[in-house]
Amino acid sequence: MSTPSIIKRSLGYRLAPGWSLVSLLLLVFAAVAVNSLFGKSNQIAMQYALVDLIIVVALQMFIGTSGVLSFGHVAFVAVGAWTVGLLTIDPTLKHSLLPNLFPFLYDIGSPWILAVFIGGIVGGVLALVVSPALMRLNGLQAGIATFALLGLVNQVLTYWSSIGPESGQSMVGIPDVLNVWMTMLFAMGAIVVAWLFQRTRPARLLRAAREDGTASAASGINVVTQRIITFTASGVIAGVAGGLFALTNRVVQASQLSIDLTFVTLAMLVLGGMLSLSGAVVGTLVFALVDLILVKLQAGMTIAAHTLQIPQGTRPIVLGLILVLMLIFRSKGITGGREFVWPFRKNQLPGVPVSND
Amino acid sequence: MSQFIQSLVDALSAGAVLGLAALAIGLVFGVIRLANFATGEIITGAGYALVLTWDLGWYVAIPLSILVAVILSLLMELAVFSRMRKAGPATLLIASFGVSFLLQRVYELIFGNNVRSAPVASNLSQSVEVAGIRLQLLSVTAIVLSAILLVLLQLFLTRTTLGLQLQAAAADFTTARLVGIPASRVIGLSFVLSGVLAAAVAFVLTTQSGAVGPTFGVRITVLALVGAVIGGIDKISGALAGGFLVGFASSMLETWLPQGVGNFRDAFVYVLVIVVLLLKPSGLLVRGRGAVRT
Repeated sequence: MSTPSIIKRSLGYRLAPGWSLVSLLLLVFAAVAVNSLFGKSNQIAMQYALVDLIIVVALQMFIGTSGVLSFGHVAFVAVGAWTVGLLTIDPTLKHSLLPNLFPFLYDIGSPWILAVFIGGIVGGVLALVVSPALMRLNGLQAGIATFALLGLVNQVLTYWSSIGPESGQSMVGIPDVLNVWMTMLFAMGAIVVAWLFQRTRPARLLRAAREDGTASAASGINVVTQRIITFTASGVIAGVAGGLFALTNRVVQASQLSIDLTFVTLAMLVLGGMLSLSGAVVGTLVFALVDLILVKLQAGMTIAAHTLQIPQGTRPIVLGLILVLMLIFRSKGITGGREFVWPFRKNQLPGVPVSND
Repeated sequence: MSQFIQSLVDALSAGAVLGLAALAIGLVFGVIRLANFATGEIITGAGYALVLTWDLGWYVAIPLSILVAVILSLLMELAVFSRMRKAGPATLLIASFGVSFLLQRVYELIFGNNVRSAPVASNLSQSVEVAGIRLQLLSVTAIVLSAILLVLLQLFLTRTTLGLQLQAAAADFTTARLVGIPASRVIGLSFVLSGVLAAAVAFVLTTQSGAVGPTFGVRITVLALVGAVIGGIDKISGALAGGFLVGFASSMLETWLPQGVGNFRDAFVYVLVIVVLLLKPSGLLVRGRGAVRT
């Protein structure tokens, strides 16, 4: 089906994809800017939210594009965090805190920015190594296999003291170098990369395969290859997010980078809408905002002489409820799988079809 | 030699329990294609019931725990999954993740983060000597209990109308509806059976550990889900066999892996899972590569 030429020539049509990128970047900037007016503790919360944002962007890049479920991305986050920990902890501290490391790990170290990118590369390499096997699976099988990957990586990081702390303990002494604005730049970078990626050949082919597997196979698309490329690229972004998590949290423990984080980031993606990058960004920001409000409410919030307080422990319950209700009543998420377009019409981006199933 | 037999019995019992848990997941999956991760929270709920009411006597605690499990199971179906009939298995899995997370937090709120404990069936934790081999009484009990449940389930599925309807629905839900099998009754039944099996699993686990916390059922559910999928979650027998295999392998690895590597036993199980899924994506018990029902 050819696009009517009148639409093709119109400015809005050509600007629409760019607008979706600009609006997302502005949205992130606005969120951080507004947040920065409210003091230090909120900024830390924002920094965590931005790290989550990068993880969710990575998830969207793979799940949204391919339509295949992955519970495994947090494994790449974990190896990214481990890499940054090993590269940035002070050498003398490393000797005393992590006594059983491979000897060469004591000698290496790098500036934190470089370490974050190396973390991304390690995440990407892990994704690349496992993907020829995992990317052949679909549906539930893919979900379980990626889940097994998460479990595997988690066990290895928990117990293998040659590459980290004693079993089950945490890696401490990660330097305090990252602030919310730098994290924001990384998040924006991740959004730009994901946006550019959406327009590449592998992403287009994979979206075609997502919409109709049989037809795309008949058109000669090698789905596995395209998935490997996409999985690896999203693994790099997840690895970077892991590095930033390490620098934000400054303590890393394998148990923090496991099922719970997988669940929370998936919830954010589902909330926003899996099929669009806007969904990843909006979902994370809305989730973070609700979370922040709930934290305040749990601590007791005073509005016009009335103190509102909700019981401790309600916060995760509300967050869980949001996910479940969203899945029941609006399974395509807040954005409904659409990108932001300009002018604000309910049409869709070229190359980013909205599925009708 | 006797150590080997001992470990074999332990592994059989671990496999039997995990097989039951996988069966609890497989029964529901066969009918509505939901791989219910929140089965773990049904197990936890039944575990809490056992631990908190054990003082009142086993004849109160055990029926109560079964009741709690069945109610929880049906409640999930009515409140969440019945509203998602058109969703694919992947979406349903995520939703069950959500339910699982939600219930864990509810347990945390009600019962606190610390474990609740009680000496549930403590006379089962002794060991007995049979022909010079010391056996954990609990292991033997788990095997016997699973065997009894399986026989009962088999009789139910093959000898009663309801059971046959459930089997038909599990084999092909659409056709089953076309020939007049009441969908809602069969779905409800699968959740009830799943709840009963979960209660049995909870009984064995609670007796083993004597303590229940908010995430009590998570580990076994992860392994059971994984087992069900590698066995072939589409077939009831596949889920059972896969669950058994994972439990058996995990227990054997725990006993026989050398010191220091033993910590990685779950890691070995996960590698096994990935390998099996690659070779037989639709499950070990399904012939050929098979059409994966998605």
